[in-house]
Amino acid sequence: METAELLQYVLAGLKSGSIYALVALGFTVVYSSTGIINFAQGEFFMLGGMLSVFFHGAGMPLPLAGLAGVLATAGVAIAFERVALRPRRDAGPLVLVIITIGASMVIKALARHAFGPDELGLPEFTPGPSLSIAGAAVERQSLWLWGLTLVAVLSLTWLYRKTKLGRAMRACSISHDASRLMGIDTASVVMVSFGIAAALGALGGLAVTPLTQTAWDVGGTAGLKGFAAAILGGLGNPVASVVGGLALGLLESLSVAFISSTYKDAISLGVLLLVLFVRPQGLMGLVRREKV
Amino acid sequence: MAGALAAIVVSTAPVAGCAVSGEAEEGSAQPYRIGVVLSLTGTYAGLGGPEKRAIELEVKRINGAGGIGGRPIEVVFEDDGTDAAKAQAATVRLIDEEQVIAVIGASGTGQTMAMRTDLERAGIPQISMAGGSIITDRLSEWAFQTPWPNRIVIPFVLRMMAEDGHTKVGLISDTGGYGVDGRDYVLRSAAAAGVEIVADETFNPGDTDMTSQLTKIRSAEPDAMLLWAAGKEAATIVKNARQLNMSQQVYGGSGIARREFIEGSGEAAEGVMIGTGKILVAESYGEGTAEHEVAASFIERYTEAYGSAPDIFAGHAYDAFGLIVDALSRVEGDADGQTLREALEQTEGWIGVGGTFTYSATDHNGLTEDDLVLYVIEDGTWRLVD
Repeated sequence: METAELLQYVLAGLKSGSIYALVALGFTVVYSSTGIINFAQGEFFMLGGMLSVFFHGAGMPLPLAGLAGVLATAGVAIAFERVALRPRRDAGPLVLVIITIGASMVIKALARHAFGPDELGLPEFTPGPSLSIAGAAVERQSLWLWGLTLVAVLSLTWLYRKTKLGRAMRACSISHDASRLMGIDTASVVMVSFGIAAALGALGGLAVTPLTQTAWDVGGTAGLKGFAAAILGGLGNPVASVVGGLALGLLESLSVAFISSTYKDAISLGVLLLVLFVRPQGLMGLVRREKV
Repeated sequence: MAGALAAIVVSTAPVAGCAVSGEAEEGSAQPYRIGVVLSLTGTYAGLGGPEKRAIELEVKRINGAGGIGGRPIEVVFEDDGTDAAKAQAATVRLIDEEQVIAVIGASGTGQTMAMRTDLERAGIPQISMAGGSIITDRLSEWAFQTPWPNRIVIPFVLRMMAEDGHTKVGLISDTGGYGVDGRDYVLRSAAAAGVEIVADETFNPGDTDMTSQLTKIRSAEPDAMLLWAAGKEAATIVKNARQLNMSQQVYGGSGIARREFIEGSGEAAEGVMIGTGKILVAESYGEGTAEHEVAASFIERYTEAYGSAPDIFAGHAYDAFGLIVDALSRVEGDADGQTLREALEQTEGWIGVGGTFTYSATDHNGLTEDDLVLYVIEDGTWRLVD
């Protein structure tokens, strides 16, 4: 195989991978502050694209429509946390996870009725022919995807390390009770983390719509891939989510190149299981020891 | 407790009375009841909507003209939610509670097949609006079909490719029902059409990037690419191909003969060739022919009623309903499931929107390659290739 061709497979993998990474980051943010998996994360990805299309169709210029779409999705997530999750927050993680599954169905059905059954699209952020790197083609939209992923992971890392809110979020992940005793408003922290998670998913949905179009039913696959990426990298760490996403994308692309496109999902999810057998905490996850 | 028992007794009484009076009223003024199972929600919601509108339009027209032999037609719609189990449950309800004499449906192939057993047992004919080859390949006395199945479309498209000198073909298909069925026929009929399949790639519905598959196809150096997919991923594929600077001519079938494909692909759809039925461009029926008259009249009435031109799915529903009306009008006396089925099988040269139907004991699809034409996408719309 020529180098240019191999590079093309790698670039294709990194492109899908960065989409998975943005969804995975959302899983990580919610997990960090609540300890639960939010199965409505894929629907935030869908809403980001659909709402941006809606605002764009209503006459807003693309950057403004995108921003409105992302913010509106965050609003939906905050409302969802406030109305559906908070009243049951003492019911235990299993109940909360099931509520998120229910919410994903409701959001999906509402989107189907509000936006119709057909796929919708957006123009590319910066239209034009693809660029060439050492003989391999790179879409301009891919550069946007990579850029947004990079900005997202850097800001999250900064948020967690350097800000009071970030430290409060990390404290919540260890113990809600202890955090509350230390004077942290845990309810607000959880609400904000849902907003951030939804905005990240929505950003992915927005950035991918010019490439793939979007529809009311895209959330399921996006959620599944993003979840796999988050688990592969290791839940709870933004950098790990991005590594997980990119690794999953590369695995899929290289499966197509060297084995068969028919089995690409089976192969990549098989590798995911294998990794979890050897390292249950994911590629970069830390083992959290219970201290007695 | 006694109160509850009394309530049960009371509630059963009117049901029994109803059944008796229903039998007493049996007469020639009774409407013919036809059941329709389609997908108004779920993945195929985009198909069920136009199908329902086309049937409603036709029911109004037939009943306005006095029905069939003085008997009006009454249609009962059921939504299957793109779910095979729901399609089957709806069918049972139509048979047991609505006493229909024929069932149109479903929108999808999986749902269509799920309905079959109950209809066969009840002796009620079924006309499907789904395009899966399996529906008429696995022949049932009771099941008919209106769309052009892959069995007919694929050899046609492959022949068109070969005639254009594209004999080395890279295939990309989805792993949904339409793509799997299509891939099967491509691999089976390529040799006969004089075409060699040099690459055979697949993708899953919901995939967001097909650059890897296309890179693999590109390295096989085909003359043309055959795209067999029904979902929005088709648009992603032609866009990915353009970004990879692939210059191969792209061909496809009914699955991409959708307005959304053109809208989603933009520039990248320009020049894509599509082999499918004639409804996309009225002139493809040939000016002055009987076919043109039927199609133009339907397109005009549908557009007037709903404000947009009918798509191929509306056409399949028009044909399914029209075939039943035609068969009913040929039955002597009052039709039942058995006589209607026989009349359907004797359909000969009935002109619909999808083509000219001739059913027989061995052919329950009734269409041929003559009912297909080749389009090219130009300036964001379909143009007939002469």
